[in-house]
Amino acid sequence: MTDLLTVDALKVHFFTQSGVAPAIDGIDFAIRPRETLGLVGESGSGKTMASLAVLRLVPPPARIVGGSLRFRGHDLLALDATAMRGLRGKSIAMIFQNPAFSLNPILSVGAQLIEILRWHERVSRTAARDRAAELLRLVGIADPLHRLRQFPHELSGGMKQRICIARALLCNPALILADEPTTNLDVTIQAQILDLLEELRERLHMAMLLVSHDMGLVARMAHRITVVYAGRTCETADVRSIFHAPLHPYTRALLDSTPRVDHDYGHEAHPTLRTIGGRIPNLAAPPSGCRFHPRCPEATAECAQLRPEPIQVAPGHIVSCLKRGSPGVPNAGLPTLGVPDAGLPTMELPAVGLAAMGAPPVDPTA
Amino acid sequence: MTAVAQHLRPPGQLRQGWRRLRRNRSGMLGLILITIVVLTAAIGPWLAPYAPNDQSAMLSFAAHGSPSWAHPFGTDRNGYDVLTRVIYGAPTALAVGLGAMLVASLIGVLVGGISGYLGGLADELLMRLTEFFLVIPVFVMILAVVRLFGIVVVGTWLERVPFLNLSTIVLLLGLFGWPPIARLARAEFLRLKGMDFVEAARCIGAQPRDILFRHILPNALPSLGVVIALGIGGAILSESMISFLGFGDPKAISWGQLLYFNYQVLRVSPWAVLAPGGAIFITVLGFNLLADGLSDAFNPRLKQ
Repeated sequence: MTDLLTVDALKVHFFTQSGVAPAIDGIDFAIRPRETLGLVGESGSGKTMASLAVLRLVPPPARIVGGSLRFRGHDLLALDATAMRGLRGKSIAMIFQNPAFSLNPILSVGAQLIEILRWHERVSRTAARDRAAELLRLVGIADPLHRLRQFPHELSGGMKQRICIARALLCNPALILADEPTTNLDVTIQAQILDLLEELRERLHMAMLLVSHDMGLVARMAHRITVVYAGRTCETADVRSIFHAPLHPYTRALLDSTPRVDHDYGHEAHPTLRTIGGRIPNLAAPPSGCRFHPRCPEATAECAQLRPEPIQVAPGHIVSCLKRGSPGVPNAGLPTLGVPDAGLPTMELPAVGLAAMGAPPVDPTA
Repeated sequence: MTAVAQHLRPPGQLRQGWRRLRRNRSGMLGLILITIVVLTAAIGPWLAPYAPNDQSAMLSFAAHGSPSWAHPFGTDRNGYDVLTRVIYGAPTALAVGLGAMLVASLIGVLVGGISGYLGGLADELLMRLTEFFLVIPVFVMILAVVRLFGIVVVGTWLERVPFLNLSTIVLLLGLFGWPPIARLARAEFLRLKGMDFVEAARCIGAQPRDILFRHILPNALPSLGVVIALGIGGAILSESMISFLGFGDPKAISWGQLLYFNYQVLRVSPWAVLAPGGAIFITVLGFNLLADGLSDAFNPRLKQ
């Protein structure tokens, strides 16, 4: 099966006055049609930035400086601004972590839903309103015509997130980017929203990128999982392999630090919940070699010098760790003449549309 | 309520603000005072007892006349009926206040909006420009320009433009009154452009135009309204001062000018000074109270 979205060696750097911070330095993942991919990592590991990069909306001073983003075979980095805008919200939609702030406080719910349809599909106001009402019903909101006339402050947090989901689904996107969609909701609402997302994804044949730091949530929702650390991909595998046969030391550490109901903490087998020592590195000056090596229990001297490249160890199971057989590449910036990516990688983004590439325009209904 | 009427009701935040403003006593007082001035300006000319340029009292030795049934506010040294002149001063004052602030808000929101939204070098340059305009001694500048312009136009077609002098004053007040608005607009745009809902709008394919005019500007309006309301009062006061110094438009009837004509006879006919002075006081107080009420009504920290 071909991938819906392929992110390959994505690099997002922050260009600040005190220098360049390589916040994302090689994240790869791929999403197949109709599957949920969990993107997991600590706070600050570049998960959100990676999902914004898919929409080419990384906020300044960050810029996408390298890698490739392919959606349905089209190079997203080669699209012009208009073509990219046409894609956002229509083929790729996003759900944010804070529903309280992701709706405009002075526009009614209806106005905010209808505007998207009017931008993307040029439908009449009445048709747009009917479609919006239909979607509110779909996300489980009773009396949608009344809700459409209400303003965000008149709604509860769970209701707002349902509306954000409805907004994301309005144009039948092929891919939903859900950036910690339940972090700011209370636990019972979380479960409802997750069930709703899963049901809708199944019903509407969408793929979903689920960004989260919650292993339990991802285990429940995702088909495959990509673990990222400090702006690099550590491991990608299906859910079973990640949870039952994790290879990367970081994945193992992450799993060890997730509380489990079947462990009786405080006894011999599990005296306390384990944590990962140290903290996530300052990405303005990331560690050399493998970025996890300062905190890694298995690190050796070569881990500090060689950057692990991804290697496929089993079908669909990709890991980047020297201890698991990854080939090592000398660090950029070290005196290693002849290494092609020494120095700051740059990339030209040609301003051409899809048509200029000789490719058929992206068909949102496909 | 029908769907149409529901659709037309004002946006939620504005409606909430209005509800809070109605509970705010001083804000409502301001609104009432402004309403009185606006009504006077709108229907006053039809109710005024005399023609605005009627000096006939002069001929019957009735100048400096104290308040009577024929002249409720008395007459002034030129034989004008003070009440009539005060009534005819209201539209002038409002035109000056609104006109000057219209010019100032257009420039201010444009400069501040661009500055806050784009940031970087554009922000730096525009803010330095704003500061430059902020340190110009506006009053001296306006007096000089008005006088020079008054001399330059003599003998040209411009001389026949009605209320040229007053328009110049309004324009200048606007041209020099925008920096506070620009600063606030910059702060608001800077704050709002980072908000999640703006990001969300971008993520669903909104064009920059929609982001600016549909998502950012309307959210900045409440706080801009406060500065603009204050500015209207300030502009009216400034025009009165300019007229009081004798630089006003001789063809326009302005409260400041009434003061200018009559301050020397304050002891003979105090009513001729007190009436326009009171009118200025009421109007400026009204706008200041309204601004105060607005800032209370839209200040999220005061939400109860």
